[in-house]
Amino acid sequence: MKNNLFKALTLILLVSIFLSGCGGNVAATQAPAEKVKVVIFVGMGTGTDPDQVEAQNQLAEKFNSTHDDIEIEFLIVPHEEYATRYLAMLSGGNAPQLVGPNGVSTVAEFFDTWEDITPYIEADKLDLSDFYGPAVELNQYPDKNTGLPLGLYPSYLYYNKDLFDAAGLDYPTHDFEDTSWNMDKLREVAMQLTLDANGKNATDPDFDPENIVQYGYDDSWDGMRATLADWGAENVGRPTTSDYKTAVANSPEWVQGLQWMSDGVWKDHFIGSAEVQAGRDSAGVDPFGPGTTAMFYSYTWFLAEGLHDLSFSADIAPFPYNPKGERIARIDADNFTIPKDAEHKQEAWEVMKWLTSPEIIVDVCRIYGCIPARKSVQENFLETLQTDYPGIDYDVIFKSIDYLDKPNHEEWIPEWGKIEDALNNGLSIMYSGEEKDAAKILDDSNAEVQKILDDYWAANP
Amino acid sequence: MQSTIKPSRFSLARRESLWAYAFITPWILGFLIFTVGPMLASLFFSFTSYDIVNPPRWIGLTNYTTLIHDELFWHSLGVTFKYAVIALPLGLVFSYLVAVLLNQNVRGINVWRTIYFIPSVIAGVAVALLWARIFDPKFGILNPLLERIGIQGPGWLSDPQWAVPALVIMSLWSVGGNIIIYLAGLQGVPTDLYDAAKVDGATAWQRFRHVTLPMTTPVIFYNLILGLIGTFQYFTEVYVLTNGSGNPARATLFYNLYLYQNAFRYFHMGYASTMAWVLFLIVLGFTLLIFRSSETWVYYEGQLRGR
Repeated sequence: MKNNLFKALTLILLVSIFLSGCGGNVAATQAPAEKVKVVIFVGMGTGTDPDQVEAQNQLAEKFNSTHDDIEIEFLIVPHEEYATRYLAMLSGGNAPQLVGPNGVSTVAEFFDTWEDITPYIEADKLDLSDFYGPAVELNQYPDKNTGLPLGLYPSYLYYNKDLFDAAGLDYPTHDFEDTSWNMDKLREVAMQLTLDANGKNATDPDFDPENIVQYGYDDSWDGMRATLADWGAENVGRPTTSDYKTAVANSPEWVQGLQWMSDGVWKDHFIGSAEVQAGRDSAGVDPFGPGTTAMFYSYTWFLAEGLHDLSFSADIAPFPYNPKGERIARIDADNFTIPKDAEHKQEAWEVMKWLTSPEIIVDVCRIYGCIPARKSVQENFLETLQTDYPGIDYDVIFKSIDYLDKPNHEEWIPEWGKIEDALNNGLSIMYSGEEKDAAKILDDSNAEVQKILDDYWAANP
Repeated sequence: MQSTIKPSRFSLARRESLWAYAFITPWILGFLIFTVGPMLASLFFSFTSYDIVNPPRWIGLTNYTTLIHDELFWHSLGVTFKYAVIALPLGLVFSYLVAVLLNQNVRGINVWRTIYFIPSVIAGVAVALLWARIFDPKFGILNPLLERIGIQGPGWLSDPQWAVPALVIMSLWSVGGNIIIYLAGLQGVPTDLYDAAKVDGATAWQRFRHVTLPMTTPVIFYNLILGLIGTFQYFTEVYVLTNGSGNPARATLFYNLYLYQNAFRYFHMGYASTMAWVLFLIVLGFTLLIFRSSETWVYYEGQLRGR
């Protein structure tokens, strides 16, 4: 009896599983023609903060309510998991239709996975002249165009006006033509703004470097390529020659730049060491927000991340001229990319066009904190900046675009991640004090990069 | 009257076996699909050049020969050995001593046992974030405590010399699992052995040395094997604390972190699979050595020597 009951229950269970499995298909065949779903993978860069998630959902509603044939959905992935999740989707044959916002770095990181959008641009005869030229160039590689430009993130100095006032110093100039605002001047000012617990600054003979409570300058949120891109080397932010076969990470300009940084940490004391950075990281604060860093070198995306609820007055100023008399202010940029293994690429292209269209791009850039890559919306975007971040010099943002680094500090090179890690290990050695001689660090890094390149070209002749 | 019960085609033992197989089938399927399958796949990938995007390309033993000449492979192995040599014995001894203390018959002992066990149920990520605060040279609690006894605390996680020792200290936080196993072993020691030892005039130390320790060697052996495997697979905490970089100055580039970098940052999935199999062989080798050595130091009460 019990045996029969067990069999009957098992049979019912199996039948119900079978029917429920069929149910979806029956419903699907009866439903009206479905919209094509375009999944937008978010997490490679910005876009994962709760308020950004909400704003993206609203953007999706806006799209979905005005389009009959395509439906978009933002797939939000924690930033720490972006690589594993994206690769898992690719290898599982479930590639998202769009990925973004994508920085130059993540475009480079997954370079082989992206579709070339040149045929789509040509088929639609899409006019790219409204986009900033550099923004288009950042997506254009010899063998492919990775995406339409969405936004630019020029870099400049964020400075704490209260600390300048307290030190009795003039604010950094906002005049882009003033060549006296150079790296020597930056060092000089930064030392005067670096204070120990007794209130003595770093130029004072009695300054106590063991008890620093305020630093003059910080550029710790970027890697080696970015940090040294501004120093005027022939290859700017690229550690190789243009054929990617020879490492040039120990160029005189890079050595000079890293020595300036190393001296700033260990001799002049106006830059915090790895220990100081670790303290901030463990406390979950950025270098600028606590009000103990006078000048922080960062990008427009820091507006959204760090310029809210400050307890002091802040403004922005151009990055100084380098010792060669050039101004290079590195730039980040975002786009959306289409994985070449994705289904519905034509629909993904339509969504990419919509996200970067003049009507929508300002809304999208407000979510992500970028400067819209279209010239025609600059005035419109300026109004939103004035609302969101009143009191800063917006000219600095727009003018800094003209001084971008090219080749870019995040641009693709062979074995991108491996070379990044090799170089950043060198930077870590400097910040930790393991080695303070920039030439020695960069010679070692250069040898390691050359070995990586040699191995790459041996395997990919 | 004739019986209506049909004789079964299968014997009772056969039917029980069939049911047993039916019940363990889900586990067997899971094991085959989610464990054996990926293992075999990774073994295949270890002989290929595979970047996920393009199909794997057979390259024979190239990944294995490349590994031998890879400085970072040896470096990461060295970091892992360094950690294992310090953390494994320290964790075993520390957790054993705590377990001995928690095995005393004192008031509120269950509360103490709970307190010591709680940290081990906290996720590795949370533990890492917590200790990052504790290790902070300026705002953490560790260095000010050291200062009180006249010691200038280092930059625990920013100084290449101190990063691994810091992780060793952090590992002691999660010995609760070991403690519970030791406690179970300690409570399984027959009390008549202690009584007999007392009658023979054994001191507390002699009772510990000649009764407790030998009788608990099976659980020490068990914790040693699990600890060895766990130590060689150390990953989560260092990934969180260094943002996956293995810095400062690659001082925390553990084997598994380098493996992860190869797989998910450099997209050398074939090479990472090779690393995984080499790690498997290393751990297997050490495990076999420990098993072999166990004949000389692990005592099983019910086991006859030589069988």
